[in-house]
Amino acid sequence: MPEILINGQKFEAEAGQTVLEAARAAGIFVPTFCWHPQLSTAGNCRMCLVEVEGRGLDIACNMPVSAGMRVLTDSPEVRAHRRAILQFITLNHPVDCGICDKAGECSLQDYHYAYNGEASISAEPKVRSTKYYNLSSRILLDNERCILCLRCTRFTHEISKSMALGVESRGDVSVIRPVADRPLGDDPYSDNIVDLCPVGALQSRQFLHKTRVWYLEPTPSVCPGCARGCSVNIWHRKPEWHVKTLDPAQNQSIARVTPLENPAVNGPWICNKGRDLARIFERRRATEPMLQGSPVALETALERARELIGAARHPLALVSNWGSNEELDAFQRSLGAVFTAYVKSDSVPQPGERLEDELLIRADKNPNSAAARALYADAPARLPEGTDLVLVWGEGCDFGALPRGARLIFLNAYLAPENGHADVFLPTSVQTERDGHYTNFQGVISGFHACFAKPSGALDAEALFRSLAAPARVHA
Amino acid sequence: MAGRQLLMNFPVTANSHTLAEYRARGGYTAIAKALREMKPQQITQEVVAAGLQGRGGASFPTGRKWQVVVPGDGQPHYLIANADEGEPGTFKDRWILENAPHLLVEGMLLTAYALDARHCFIYIRGEFDLPYRRIAGAVEEAYAARWLGEQIAGSGFSCDLIVYRGAGAYVAGEASGLISSLEGKKGYPRNRPPRLTVRGLYQRPTVVNNVESLANVTGIIRDGAAAFRAVGTEKSPGTRLISVSGHVNRPGVYEVELGFPWRRFIDEDCGGVLGGRAIKAVVPGGISSKVLTGAEIALLALSHEALWDVNSTLGSGGMIVIAEGTCMVHLLQIMLRFYHHESCGQCTPCRHGTGWMHRIVDRIVAGEGRPEDIERLYYVAKYNDGTTICGLGDAAGFAAAGILDKFRDEFEYCIEHKRSRYEGRIECLRS
Repeated sequence: MPEILINGQKFEAEAGQTVLEAARAAGIFVPTFCWHPQLSTAGNCRMCLVEVEGRGLDIACNMPVSAGMRVLTDSPEVRAHRRAILQFITLNHPVDCGICDKAGECSLQDYHYAYNGEASISAEPKVRSTKYYNLSSRILLDNERCILCLRCTRFTHEISKSMALGVESRGDVSVIRPVADRPLGDDPYSDNIVDLCPVGALQSRQFLHKTRVWYLEPTPSVCPGCARGCSVNIWHRKPEWHVKTLDPAQNQSIARVTPLENPAVNGPWICNKGRDLARIFERRRATEPMLQGSPVALETALERARELIGAARHPLALVSNWGSNEELDAFQRSLGAVFTAYVKSDSVPQPGERLEDELLIRADKNPNSAAARALYADAPARLPEGTDLVLVWGEGCDFGALPRGARLIFLNAYLAPENGHADVFLPTSVQTERDGHYTNFQGVISGFHACFAKPSGALDAEALFRSLAAPARVHA
Repeated sequence: MAGRQLLMNFPVTANSHTLAEYRARGGYTAIAKALREMKPQQITQEVVAAGLQGRGGASFPTGRKWQVVVPGDGQPHYLIANADEGEPGTFKDRWILENAPHLLVEGMLLTAYALDARHCFIYIRGEFDLPYRRIAGAVEEAYAARWLGEQIAGSGFSCDLIVYRGAGAYVAGEASGLISSLEGKKGYPRNRPPRLTVRGLYQRPTVVNNVESLANVTGIIRDGAAAFRAVGTEKSPGTRLISVSGHVNRPGVYEVELGFPWRRFIDEDCGGVLGGRAIKAVVPGGISSKVLTGAEIALLALSHEALWDVNSTLGSGGMIVIAEGTCMVHLLQIMLRFYHHESCGQCTPCRHGTGWMHRIVDRIVAGEGRPEDIERLYYVAKYNDGTTICGLGDAAGFAAAGILDKFRDEFEYCIEHKRSRYEGRIECLRS
């Protein structure tokens, strides 16, 4: 354990660490653009220049610690050079923060205010470059904002391995460009480069000019896209910034999804499917309980369901593997003794979707199969004849394969034609409207939290199961 | 002749570059002797004892670079001859490649033997045509005569030599940029540590030496370190090939014994300045070395230590003589255009700094200079220095600061009067 001095303070560093890592571990912030803990060291931004007494300036990200070295991270010399590096970076940067989606969470902005604070001292015209370069159907590139830190190219080479990006030309007209025959659109992890970009050069088309980031707040959640269960942040408008006119639906919608670093599950990455949770959760919702297609009061629907359950001799349940651990537990406690239950897969791989890979994506496209299978077996292809009642919870049911003549209780969150065919239909909440946990394929349990209020009429499945077991009053 | 000669010591004829003539001059006796009588470490010791300094620009002791590589440590080692001679004003390696290619091949064999390198590369710049044909021909001849390949001269030593043509990027002349290019990547220089002698080509210990350095190894092993040390000065043994261009009557490549009086070299060997004018300035070793005034070189010797004393360097041996009446503002503009064009764009200070300086000087030349421009040029030069990944980034700053330091009044004149004091003259016609 080499002991080093940073700004005169002694710290124990680990052998093999760089000065940057040692400083950050000791709580001393050294600014960086190109350095990222998961990527190889590029050392090209030169922002992390520090002074080593007796050796002069060098970059901290590529400097191995050695016993007794004296590092200064805030000497006058270091401060002057940081200012100069920011002058160089902003020399040809358009500084169009006013229309840049990154503004508010941009390293260049933060460092400018922290370490430079003065406008560009250059009087020369800036080098112009491509705006809105179409990298894929998901990502646009603004070459003028790009500071060529090469995080994105290193990501596609080292993490997603699509090798989709490279640098074309040289000098101050160097540009990030897609590599021929390796479209970025085929990289299911491509959107991570938008987060990785320390400035606003890489822009998500979904999020383009949608909102300013300071109107948003993140809620920790879990991606239900596959059995990996990546930790994510779901960004939505802060309550104090809720819009009251124009389009109040914005208040209830997902602005964007970003990875929430979780070393046990997904590290700092998620796949593009996780970015598109709005496509799952913001489909048209079912909000009215129904008896054979006719809207009824909730109590009426529940009463009818209880009647059917009481009358059935061979009731069978298809349990959702999108149900949270809490919901599965509530089902088992309330109705587990009444129903013969099987696990149903709500979601199957879509055409064109990557089935499985070594990084994150799993073939099972459901978030909680592990917990559901711990309780029940997978549903057989042919359900037993003689079943006289089926409770279907969630999507993905092949209604044609249900036993003939059986009554049907259906719990679903979204509008679907089958809702009206059920003897009893009960609308449920979705993941973004409640708290809960999923157990991923490795057995790691991750929690999610409510981002939005339930639409009026929708109910949590947990409460529904309890009231189906015992005729207590249910509150929406 | 500027002192004794070690490399250009034979008459250049139509066939003097061939294997037959090289053998007749005593060629491939050094490698034969080394394989017969010497251990690899002895070769390295001999080169260390000779005090050979790198001829590519940094003047780093060649033997000390080799000592980092441990022969027989169980991993492949590589040797690369840097023939990507791109420093403006420099064309001396070209002379070796064209006229003494076997001298380089033999020097590389000796070095490869010393370093335990099975595979060697010559990275030659793409613009070189005749030099490429000559060195490729020499390698072919050497293979045919079994001086390259398996079990050379009946010994256990085998060595393959591959000639690789670059695409003409200045930055590929930087050792680590060269390696990136040789690996098939963009010619981006690499951060140190690790040093290339620890992790270089294909992540293995690699020595990159200049063509002239390697050519000198042959003589050092053939005649011994003492004979090499007998030439030149105490601190700069041997000779340097100097490529002279600019306002002299006889530009060309000359071999100069280190320590030779500079003024005498220009006046006698190079035939003096065009039109008998006074020397305004001299770029001593490629445009990345700091420019010297005529007065400064008047009593100076051509040696590494003499140049270091005046805060410049013999660099790559590319000497540009600039006669009185030349516009230094315009000259700096040309230099900066080069650095701007050749910056690889990897690290921030060089990517933006070179273009920044270029645009400022462009503006001054166009008569739109502002009083703060000189200070701004110094600012960019200062913060380019020591902040870049490779030495070529610093060099643009050196060049600018070097000219500004010594010819600031010309820039001030140009800014104030909106025109050059010398009407932007660069050419110096014979009068």
